[in-house]
Amino acid sequence: MWALDQPYTPRADRLFVGTPLALLVVLAGGAGAAVVLVGLGVLPPCVRPVAGITAGHGALLATALAWAGVRSPARAIAIALLGLAAAAAGLAPLGAVAYLLPAFWVVWLAAHGQLTGLALGTPVSPRGVIAGALVGVGLASHLLVSASRTLGVQARVGHVPDVLAAIAYDVGANVLAAECFFHGALFNRAQRRWSFAGAATMTTAAYVLRYVVDPLLPKNVELVVGAVFYLALLGAINCWLVWWSESLVPGLVSALVFFAAYRTLGAG
Amino acid sequence: MSLVAAALATVTVLVAFEGAGPASLFRHAYLVPVLAAALRFGAVGGALAATAAVLLSAPFVLPEIERSGLTTEAVEGLVTFGVLGLVGVLSGALRARAGRHRRRYEILVTIQRTLADEATLDVSLARLRAALADRLRVDELALVGRDGERLVVAGGDRVAAGSLAAQVLDSGEPAFVEDTGVGGRARRAFATPLISGARPVGVLAVERKGEIPVGERATLEAIGAHIGIALENARLVSRQRRFAAELAERVAAARRELEELDRAKSAFVAIASHELRTPLTALQGFSEILAVRRLPPDEVARLADVMRREARRLGRIVSDLLDLSRIERGLEPALCRVPMKVEPAIEATVEIFRRGTATHLITTECEPALPVVDADPDALERVLTNLISNAIKYSPTGSTVHVSARALDDGVAIDVADAGRGIPAEALSRVFEPYYRVPDAAGAVRGTGIGLAVVKALVEAHGGTVRVDSAPALGTRVTVVVPLARVAHDHRWSVP
Repeated sequence: MWALDQPYTPRADRLFVGTPLALLVVLAGGAGAAVVLVGLGVLPPCVRPVAGITAGHGALLATALAWAGVRSPARAIAIALLGLAAAAAGLAPLGAVAYLLPAFWVVWLAAHGQLTGLALGTPVSPRGVIAGALVGVGLASHLLVSASRTLGVQARVGHVPDVLAAIAYDVGANVLAAECFFHGALFNRAQRRWSFAGAATMTTAAYVLRYVVDPLLPKNVELVVGAVFYLALLGAINCWLVWWSESLVPGLVSALVFFAAYRTLGAG
Repeated sequence: MSLVAAALATVTVLVAFEGAGPASLFRHAYLVPVLAAALRFGAVGGALAATAAVLLSAPFVLPEIERSGLTTEAVEGLVTFGVLGLVGVLSGALRARAGRHRRRYEILVTIQRTLADEATLDVSLARLRAALADRLRVDELALVGRDGERLVVAGGDRVAAGSLAAQVLDSGEPAFVEDTGVGGRARRAFATPLISGARPVGVLAVERKGEIPVGERATLEAIGAHIGIALENARLVSRQRRFAAELAERVAAARRELEELDRAKSAFVAIASHELRTPLTALQGFSEILAVRRLPPDEVARLADVMRREARRLGRIVSDLLDLSRIERGLEPALCRVPMKVEPAIEATVEIFRRGTATHLITTECEPALPVVDADPDALERVLTNLISNAIKYSPTGSTVHVSARALDDGVAIDVADAGRGIPAEALSRVFEPYYRVPDAAGAVRGTGIGLAVVKALVEAHGGTVRVDSAPALGTRVTVVVPLARVAHDHRWSVP
């Protein structure tokens, strides 16, 4: 028993220890420079979303990987693949398939046991995956019903390539980076310092904040309120899923299902 | 769980079919599954059911707000959201609290019942751990108790230095660790001292993969205090019973000893009467013969010699009895100590025995120039007489009794050795007890059983020592050490 056998010294490390600050500064600087250069007309406008996606999701993913103990080259590869995918998706909807590259890279790292610190690559029970899927389906159904009843937004059925491209973006960038950072890394660290309720509240607040400040989120008040409502629920439930199943996979499944439903909406 | 879900779905269907929107009367029916979930699963269950109810009724309330703003119906719907949440969380929290209290009392009863039996600390802690592990619903549980300098551990092998349990035992303060660093989900550990008389007498340590909330930690602290008191009570009861048993055993032993002493005294009275009667009879008979008959001088001399020997024997027995009487009153024999040499005393005593017995050969061997001892000559003679008399009595006819003396650093050792049957090992430690006689010799040889007791008392009154070495069938050697006279001891001076 740990309390009898192991020497105990109170935890001294801080919550954000191990954050790759230099890399984050480089990413922020790169994104800022790209925005300025686009504004000056030096670079074409299509560079701005590429820089934004690479810097935003790259920062989250790289931080998560760093906290999990993944070495710098592997983190750089993840960021490079994100940039490549964003660029490819910018060229044509089919290019969004490239978003599978960062996802495959993360899967490869997990398969090689480098992401156990993010609860990836650890055993996951079918029950956990089913629970994640049910949560996603439940929230997605509710979103579709309430959106159609309140805002009159309907599911898009005529824009399948756009929907698939958006889902690919979620798979390789949005959901992957957010879940790895907020639930795989941040919640994982927070729950080792505070109670589940405290850790989940902090993580969910950060999770919601990330989407509220996302420039891609429509600024319509009703949509922002709705987004806060659903993302708070999704964030809190995913905290519970990773806590309960000890794996990030159920949370990834629920978020992917929910965002897939969101992408089908006209306003998505 | 499924009943709650079914109830929520049913209410939603009723609200939808009624078509009254946010003000539907059926919305109040959401309270039923929310309350049921709260009472069954606690605050989390109540909150989840309330959230589900809010999610299900939101599509009826939100469009109303969207269309017409905050109408009366919309406000009613929003109030319903609040009421559902409040009822779910509060009812669940109250239920959880009541459950915690009930569990606490059950645990206290369990503790009392478990420690009701008299048992060692090891057994008590092991039983307690088994009983608590069922009720506390933790992954790991250990109990540590102090047993003097030893730590008794139930649920582990040892308490490592610097471990959480060791720190709590030292500080007497409870400690909570948010994460032990093992596994994907945080594994919490909590250790609380077992308090008795304001000092830690042990530790209760638990570990759980998941939460150990503040309320539960408070409960564990209270349990720790109760266990401490219960353990202390059990320890006191156990000690009291042990003392009572020990006392009863001592009383029984003392009683046995008294009975044995009583038997020995009775035997002694019989033996002493016989021992006294024999010389008295001789004295009486021979003195009557001398008084009424005219006998030749040789015969008169012979009878007088017999009467002298018997009178001396009678005197020796009486002296022994007087000394024994003093010993039993806790007094030392009265001595008149002077510097003296032991060789003349040995030779004189041996000579008396040589003249009185033809059955044994008595030899002496004294180192030359033995130092002077500090002794009472009469007492030393009685010691030697007793020892030589015993050697003759307990060795076969024709054997040799050897008396020797040698110098030691702090005294003179006198050995009286015989070639008798020896003393059994189990009787060796008792031969100096008054009235004690070696069982197999008691019937075969005459004696009072007080000779060696008197020898020991006399020698120890001199500040000397006496010991017996005996090997069955080989013989017995009694060694008496008499201390040197002070002057002789200090200056190696000897009386010429």
